[in-house]
Amino acid sequence: MDIRLLTNADLPLIQHANLENLPENYFLKYYLYHSLSWPQLSYVAVDVSRPKKNPYEYPKIVGYVLAKMEEEPSDGIPHGHITSLSVMRTHRRLGIAEKLMRQSQLAMVETFGAKYVSLHVRVSNAAARHLYETTLRFNNEKTEAKYYADGEDAFCMRLDLDGIRAKVNEAIAAEDAETADADAVDEGEPVGEVGRDPEADKKKEIKVAVGRGLGVGALVEKDESKH
Amino acid sequence: MPQPLASKEASLFRSVIRSYEDKQYKRGLKSAELILKKNPKHGDTTAMKALILNAQGKTEEAFALGKEALTMDMKSHICWHVYGLLYRANKNFEEAIKAYKFALRLEPESAQIQRDLAILQVQMRDYQGYIQSRTAMLQARPQMRQSWTALAIAHHISGNPHEAENVLTTYEGTLKGTPARTDFENSEAIMYKNSLIGEQGEYERALEHLNSAAKYNLDRLAVMEARAEYLTKLKRNEEAAKAYRALLDRNSERASYYDKLLEVLDVPEGDLKARKAIYDEYAEKYPRCDAAKRLPLDFLTGDEFEEAAESYLTLMLNKGVPSTFANLKHLYSDSFKKETLAELAEEYLESQNADTSSKDKGEAAALYYLAQHYNYSLSRDLTKAMEYVDKAIEKDPKSVDFHMTKARILKHSGNVKEASETMDRARKLDLKDRYINTKAAKYQLRNDENEKALKTVGLFTRADTVGGPFADLLDMQCIWYLTEDGESYARQGNIGLALKRFLAVTNIFDVWHEDQFDFHSFSLRKGQIRAYVDMIRWEDHVRDHPFFSRAALDAIEIYLKLADKPSANGANGTEGENAEDSLAKKKAAKKAKKELQRLEREALEKQAKQDPNKASKDGDAKKKDEDPLGLKLAETSDPLGEAMKLLSPLLQFSPKNIQAQLTGFEIYMRRKKYVLALRCLNAALALDAKSPKVQEQSAEFNKLLSTASGISPKVLEVLKAEFKSN
Repeated sequence: MDIRLLTNADLPLIQHANLENLPENYFLKYYLYHSLSWPQLSYVAVDVSRPKKNPYEYPKIVGYVLAKMEEEPSDGIPHGHITSLSVMRTHRRLGIAEKLMRQSQLAMVETFGAKYVSLHVRVSNAAARHLYETTLRFNNEKTEAKYYADGEDAFCMRLDLDGIRAKVNEAIAAEDAETADADAVDEGEPVGEVGRDPEADKKKEIKVAVGRGLGVGALVEKDESKH
Repeated sequence: MPQPLASKEASLFRSVIRSYEDKQYKRGLKSAELILKKNPKHGDTTAMKALILNAQGKTEEAFALGKEALTMDMKSHICWHVYGLLYRANKNFEEAIKAYKFALRLEPESAQIQRDLAILQVQMRDYQGYIQSRTAMLQARPQMRQSWTALAIAHHISGNPHEAENVLTTYEGTLKGTPARTDFENSEAIMYKNSLIGEQGEYERALEHLNSAAKYNLDRLAVMEARAEYLTKLKRNEEAAKAYRALLDRNSERASYYDKLLEVLDVPEGDLKARKAIYDEYAEKYPRCDAAKRLPLDFLTGDEFEEAAESYLTLMLNKGVPSTFANLKHLYSDSFKKETLAELAEEYLESQNADTSSKDKGEAAALYYLAQHYNYSLSRDLTKAMEYVDKAIEKDPKSVDFHMTKARILKHSGNVKEASETMDRARKLDLKDRYINTKAAKYQLRNDENEKALKTVGLFTRADTVGGPFADLLDMQCIWYLTEDGESYARQGNIGLALKRFLAVTNIFDVWHEDQFDFHSFSLRKGQIRAYVDMIRWEDHVRDHPFFSRAALDAIEIYLKLADKPSANGANGTEGENAEDSLAKKKAAKKAKKELQRLEREALEKQAKQDPNKASKDGDAKKKDEDPLGLKLAETSDPLGEAMKLLSPLLQFSPKNIQAQLTGFEIYMRRKKYVLALRCLNAALALDAKSPKVQEQSAEFNKLLSTASGISPKVLEVLKAEFKSN
């Protein structure tokens, strides 16, 4: 599954995936509103190897994250929000949702200076809660009663993005240093240097990934401390 | 010159405009009437009255009044502007543009008319007109960045990135001081300019600009991708490789990054070991990366393929990943890979059987893999598929996935009824999952259980939508449902509802096309220029989507049948068919009548239940559907004319779709437009000369040429010369 930035041509099949998977649906213009307001934040997982049945077939969307920045944050802090995230049942357990989310979060920090990202999740949606709480380390802030049209409650979750911010800043600083060195020697080759920074960034992300197994333990510990 | 008013009336007129803008329509009308009492022939007031009526949904009255206003005062820019607005509201954009232009000639300084005109011009892709308008708007407000950006976009989408760049450069020259790093609008403008330089093929300059102006750009990914691309084009391979490695470190699930990296590393196409080594590097670096492990399966062959496939398959099956087959089936076009994968899955299964300590997860996953393998078109053996899926279900009787595949196997066996029942059983295993609900409803539609299907999807649609689940699906542009529902009705001979559904789909595309309207101004405010240009380019071919062609072709098929069988005379068919047909028709008509009565009854009940104190939320806005069952659609007197409306976009946007060409031939032959029919036939011949349908049509055309009845000799000569199969 290819993971890449969303383009406008993907929207009909994103809408289709949303209608197949989730009870919260939107007309196409709402997707356009996202892709034309915060084009850096939404990602798709596409099946690129699928043979085309006709020359006009669009890449099949097997998962997407539709994200935005809060336009008028009530707390005055710039932050991102996940409008919708879903992965086709036929493509679950490949870690697609997590990978989509990580790309989106990085862009929220880089492009829009987001301090945190928030989302709503159905209280009964165990799989999604596991993803947010355990894998991505979101905190459950509060319960919003009857948030959904059918009367179900939502958990409001939030993830602090300071960690990503720090890594991005580190990367920029490292790049500055390298460019400065290169400038002294020659015309300056920031090209490869840019590469290093996200590398460093990702290495740390691996730690998070490795810590995923431990994450469950950490969560249990937390629970114990409550008792 | 507008007709003058006394000062009291003049102030009343201003209040009419204010009321209109504040949507205080009743108050606006009242003031307008007061003016008209004294000045019954006042054009501007009459025009404003028309505009208000239009806003209230009284379209026809508004139009008549708008025209009258013009005859009262041909020299008023307000009358012309309103006339344009009325056309615009009725989606007649060409006439609206004309009216705006008249208005602008009378009042060249009006920013509002100029803006309305510009937006319509870009919506209609009148590029030269748009450039003109944007140039005028820039001259009026040169201090605004948006004015410059807009003119640059106008040049760009008209096909002139060079001029677009010049406009942006001129603006930059007027800037004093450096904008802040966090200035998003500036950041995006830089990337837009950079993409314009790249689009002109000037990669050296583009790279330089990127390295200087975009050093701290807020869109990091775009900078990194552009840099990698420019370096590749400039053949600075070493640096390009670094750039692609940087991108892979950011996102190792992007297949094209690996391809490009291999390209700039000059790894020979045939050196499979060296190619695999690159992927292995990333598989090791990012243990949770799927692409690095899976992609080599695409190019590896022989033993190396087997080795890599075994380790990938084992990993996936051990984890019990349900999407393993979906992830690998594209390899099946290679029969060696197809057989190897099946053998590996069998071996895995046996090892699981032998190993009693193993968890059931892997075994069930292997059974599931094999069930899908034998259900797939390139490796189909439905008996075996059924055996495997039943075994899998035995292992895990509660698995939605296993039941879902069983239903699919049944469908492929042609047993739509049992398939539908099985899918519904799968649905009941997880009532909270909409995906399986969707599948169940789809299978019910395939089994022509329309009402049941609607009930099924109704479990997930919004309960508070006026008009029930179907209205919600329509509001939410649920194309798959409309199409499947329509195809089901077509199978059942319910032409009205079938057409109704197919046209609902093509109407959604009209809405999508119009959706861009608001973004012509919105995107300038937001400053996301590249995304806007991307949207413009996508909207230009929005109707090439298979969602559109499928529904359009379905509808045309019905129109062709209607054209061949005018209901009054059945001269075309045999008598037996006619009797059967008319019986079926009577039945369908009776059913339709009952259905209509039911709908009316329900609507009435709903109305009765509604709280009279609460205005219905969208009751006013939503127009009542005058033909909910499509009876009027089915009664069309000009089925070929209706078919043409759908054929034109098909031929324009999907000329390489052979079905579109075949269908075009059928329509044009019936309309005796032989030159156009031949154009379709030639296109179909070029796409697939061996298709039986193409050959059939060629024969038909040959016959036409040999009998040549009713064709002028000149035309006949052209046809013979142009016919490609001769």
